[in-house]
Amino acid sequence: MSPVHQGELDPVIHAAARLKITATLATIPPGDRIAFPRLQELLDMTPGNLSTHLRKLEDAAYVEVEKTHQGRTPVTYISLSKAGRRAFEDYTDALKQLLGGTA
Amino acid sequence: MTNTVEPHETDDAAEMLALITAQQRKVDQLMLRPIPWMLGIWGVAWLVGFLLLWSAYPGGNPLFTIPMAVAAPVFALLIAGAIAASAIIGARLSRGVKGESNFAGAVYGISWSLCGIAFAALGVGLIANGLSQELASIYFPSAFSLMCGTLYLAGAALWRQVSQLVLGIIMLVVGAVAPFFGAPTNNLVMAIFGGGALLVAAIVFAVRLRQAR
Repeated sequence: MSPVHQGELDPVIHAAARLKITATLATIPPGDRIAFPRLQELLDMTPGNLSTHLRKLEDAAYVEVEKTHQGRTPVTYISLSKAGRRAFEDYTDALKQLLGGTA
Repeated sequence: MTNTVEPHETDDAAEMLALITAQQRKVDQLMLRPIPWMLGIWGVAWLVGFLLLWSAYPGGNPLFTIPMAVAAPVFALLIAGAIAASAIIGARLSRGVKGESNFAGAVYGISWSLCGIAFAALGVGLIANGLSQELASIYFPSAFSLMCGTLYLAGAALWRQVSQLVLGIIMLVVGAVAPFFGAPTNNLVMAIFGGGALLVAAIVFAVRLRQAR
């Protein structure tokens, strides 16, 4: 197994928690958004933990966060941005290349 | 509680790739888990419902007879129950997700009621124009089956699901072929091939989900 060189992989998603978040968001069709509690359920993460990592992804413009209201309750919807989706694809391609595949 | 461990921890490409696969599979399974239930509920409703109808018609079930006053309402109840169950399961599946796919989902949902009403109205219209009871008992099950088949085909196209495609084709074949058996045997054909196909699909789906785990 060849070791991964840090420089080649996107550091924003090359961390277990954020990679899981990105992989999950990538399963949602482009143009759709997912509610925070549902995303939390799919990931099995605490709200605090999820928020922290989402903020980092948002800072990198990989994730779009939309805060709205449903009646009086505030709801947060999250989606992968175009850049985020591309970054995730590039990242998986890079992993496959590192593993000797033809990505 | 925040967990801000940075990259280094798993700097193994294979491990990261496995992480992606595992997480996406988990999401898939959470999304697909209710589908065997949905198919199973419909399968039981068809099998039991059409067997009851078959047993209610004169010249139907040779083993025992059920009064139509019992069979028809139970059949209606089973189908209504299956429709309610799939509506609830469908809504639970898509909860928390909104956006462009909502339109497709909403149209698909409405299609079931709209088509159901349209096919039923056509039958009532035919009866009003002199369609005999015997012919009506051939029309309704087949119309219903053709409607389900067509909608399953639409669902297969929308969500790219081969299982729905297979199911849709079976429903179309069953609906188209059943009338050739005449009444009331057409009900038996619907029960065994329609209900049976749904139950087999439910089992195949459940097994495949279990294997993927």
